[in-house]
Amino acid sequence: MEISTKIKESFPSLEPKECPYEQNGYHLSIEATKSNIVDIARFFIKEDFYLADLCCVDYIDYLELVYFFSKHDKLLRIKVTLKIDPEKPSAPTISHIYNIAHWFEREIHEFFGVLFDGHPFMVYLFLHDQIDFYPLRKKQVPVPDEDKRLLNSFKPEEQEDGFFLNLGPQHPSTHGVLRVVVKMNGEYILEAIPVLGYLHRMHEKMAENRTYQQFYPNAARMDYLGALNFNLGYVTTVEKLCGIEVPERAQYIRTITCELNRISSHLLWLGAFLADLGGLTPFLYTFDDREQILDILEAVTGSRLTYSYFRFGGLFNDVDDNFVDGVKKFINRLRSRFSMYDRLVTGNVIFINRVKDIGVMDRSYPIRYGCSGPVIRSIGIPFDMRKHEPYAAYDRIDFKIATGTNADNMDRYLVRIQEMENSLDIIEKALKELPTGPIKADKIPKKLKPPKGDIYHTIESPRGELGIYIVSDESDVPYRMRWRVPSYSNLMTFPELAKGTLIADAIATLGSYDLVIPEIDR
Amino acid sequence: MCTLDNIIQIIGKEVARLILGLIGVLVVVVVNALVLTWVERKVSGHMQRRIGPKEVGPYGLIQPFADGLKLLAKELLTPANVDKPLYYLAPVIVFIPVLVSFIVIPFDGFLQVKDINVGILVILAFSSLSVLSILIAGWGSNNKYSLIGATRSVAQNIAYEIPLLLTLLPVVFMANSLSLRDIVEAQREGWFVWRWQFFAFLIYFIAATAETNRTPFDLPEAESELVAGFHTEFSGMRFALFFLAEYTNIFIASAIATTFFLGGYLGPVLPGVVWFFIKTYFLVFVIMWFRWTFPRVRFDQLLNFSWKILIPVAFANLIVTGGILKL
Amino acid sequence: MVKEVITGAISLLKGMGVTIKAFFSPVVTVQYPRETINITPRFRGHTKLVADDENPDKTRCIVCGMCERNCPSNSIQVIGEKKEGEKKKILTKYILNFTTCSQCGICVESCPTDALAFSGDYNPASFNKETFYYDLVAEFEKRKK
Repeated sequence: MEISTKIKESFPSLEPKECPYEQNGYHLSIEATKSNIVDIARFFIKEDFYLADLCCVDYIDYLELVYFFSKHDKLLRIKVTLKIDPEKPSAPTISHIYNIAHWFEREIHEFFGVLFDGHPFMVYLFLHDQIDFYPLRKKQVPVPDEDKRLLNSFKPEEQEDGFFLNLGPQHPSTHGVLRVVVKMNGEYILEAIPVLGYLHRMHEKMAENRTYQQFYPNAARMDYLGALNFNLGYVTTVEKLCGIEVPERAQYIRTITCELNRISSHLLWLGAFLADLGGLTPFLYTFDDREQILDILEAVTGSRLTYSYFRFGGLFNDVDDNFVDGVKKFINRLRSRFSMYDRLVTGNVIFINRVKDIGVMDRSYPIRYGCSGPVIRSIGIPFDMRKHEPYAAYDRIDFKIATGTNADNMDRYLVRIQEMENSLDIIEKALKELPTGPIKADKIPKKLKPPKGDIYHTIESPRGELGIYIVSDESDVPYRMRWRVPSYSNLMTFPELAKGTLIADAIATLGSYDLVIPEIDR
Repeated sequence: MCTLDNIIQIIGKEVARLILGLIGVLVVVVVNALVLTWVERKVSGHMQRRIGPKEVGPYGLIQPFADGLKLLAKELLTPANVDKPLYYLAPVIVFIPVLVSFIVIPFDGFLQVKDINVGILVILAFSSLSVLSILIAGWGSNNKYSLIGATRSVAQNIAYEIPLLLTLLPVVFMANSLSLRDIVEAQREGWFVWRWQFFAFLIYFIAATAETNRTPFDLPEAESELVAGFHTEFSGMRFALFFLAEYTNIFIASAIATTFFLGGYLGPVLPGVVWFFIKTYFLVFVIMWFRWTFPRVRFDQLLNFSWKILIPVAFANLIVTGGILKL
Repeated sequence: MVKEVITGAISLLKGMGVTIKAFFSPVVTVQYPRETINITPRFRGHTKLVADDENPDKTRCIVCGMCERNCPSNSIQVIGEKKEGEKKKILTKYILNFTTCSQCGICVESCPTDALAFSGDYNPASFNKETFYYDLVAEFEKRKK
């Protein structure tokens, strides 16, 4: 592999090991050391890799930091591991190279106690000061006092100078319990600091205490708007890990229901975004449309919001003709509604003035922040996991990827509108080709015990790249399950975008991300 | 013997008229606010394909009374650290200017509390006072959202009072009077909105929407940004007074538009007072229609719109009207 | 500038056209509780016990405890007793703690005898937490009558 030789040239001490992509979900694995990890990160950013994920696994004898570097333009994922000592664990920070590592490292610090040397802001990300043990360590490791003091050092209310305003956790614009501390000068924002963790439920820890089957309902509760997509992401990852073949009919139904779910998520976002901008009526119209999807999905899956419909190897139950007719009717209905949204929203001069040229990202954002989904497509990069790393039946269906050019709020809006239309096309094509046959692979053991190993798998949720990293130790309980969620990296761009803008614009930008807070907090 | 005549004799005819008028005005203010809250909820409901209130009374007509009673019965909470005198004063002050403005509005040829020969000045002067109460409320609440809302409100009111005044002036030129009844009577030959003042009417209406803090100009209470703006910290009856004032302000703004541009109480067949209310409530409906259609403008856009578009156009209109009248 | 203002005004009027059309259109909401919509057959309410085909007075449950063990939230408690002279255990109590149940359906799937099914009960409401500690056996007996 080309990149492999390049790495060897730059770092003679490293030995890149090629890995079977079908089995692991990554192409190369590299064992780094504390002394060269910063240089490796520098090398990867120069090669236009983005940091897809950074997580930690506790192997009791040692802690392992796992860095995933991926590319936007082609499918290439490289795993870099860094072993560290479990007593007084520390590692050099790469947050000055990849901005996204900022939060990843804070997260690892509070969950594992790994201190990142040189990180400027090692305070709590999700947890609060009553946590006495590092939660994701396999053995009970108490949090030392000096670490507690460090974690607690963010206290904006005690700063004398400056006018601080709390957007959230109970604020109409943050859609959930996100808190953004903004330092203001009049109406202008000098600094915005997102404070997370108000909805933190520690799904990653829960995963280590449940069997693979028992974890089904959790996936849906991370992203309640794209529940089916998260459900699918989890299911496909485990299927890939165990090597389960899924029947064709199930794959097509997965595609159709996931696209319906994507449309419903985008519709809700559309309403909420307009509500952020002060227009309350579109919210009800989009809910009217969304209701039709919920009815269709309820008839199939049995629930309206937190579906857990997919099973390892297939589906919970089959769809019938009513479903097909209902979906066809819905496609026609939504297509006729787009012109109404055009007149009410897209063409409206007030709306255009509020979103055009606001929150403009430059092309370095995707690399530095690893943002994904409609946010990255608005920059003009056609990066979509459905095409990039196809799953379900997406490789058999021809569809377009909506992209923008200006990377402003208007483009993010237009990309999502376009995506809804594209999703309708996908559904229509998939319905036409819907094969008959079984909906579930046979011989799925009641107690699933995947082979030893690890896997990183991604899908495209309505908000972007959802990555799931599972380490299996051959038991029926995952050894470590890591969720890389799209809103997390999208939200990370907010402090930089909000700096120097009016508060009204910052709220419009925040709305344009389509954040789902439970997904960020996990 | 203490008959009504005696009382009137003792206190004088004018004063009696004033007292009676004030009582009438109070009734109109309260009833109007109650009706408008119901109308707003019904309008918003149907524009969003919902039904709106329907449980309390037929078509939910008693709903505003139920809400009003609830607000009356609520405990008056005073948050800690508020500036108490200002905090208590603000809801009272917000109510005085709207009451006074009602005195000079001619509902019909004779249905007017007092026809002051500088009527329009009274209304403009007192409506400017309402911004003072918003500032007091915002400052006294000791809340950052409230403070930002209040400062926004002041800037907005200053910006939009100018086009408001500039569009009313040409009408005053044409009617040759500042008295509202004279202005209405001057429209017997035709409404001013059709007599060269269409743009003035448009600008007035936009400025009035902004003056009353309604969407798309509802920045002082911009929900998604400032929670509830200047009245974030007010609850119970204090909140109700702000609410009442808001709806009364809408009514007054529409009533002035009716009086100045739409021929006031003039109209065929039906009695004048009916015409007056039909026209006024139609304009109120349009303001509500705005609210349930448009998103909110941004603060700098709001000011730019006033200073760069509305004021120059209003000025041009004023000069042209004055020039034509002089010739 | 003038053109901008005019096109802007037209776009606003178009938007107002949409809302006024909606104003005179029929409402789309359902006036619950005066009207209700049908619950779909697959709706996932709380679980219920299914009667045995041969002996409709009894449930299919064989007190194996699979549902109890597989429940992700530990919401199920299956209590059975072995009576004198009988071969199999008999279900006496099936406690479903609905306050923690997330209606995932793993119990329904894992049941070897298909003794569990979803009910269509969509609006359980109470002032009392204890109401939601369902005893499905009692509920089954009630349904039988």
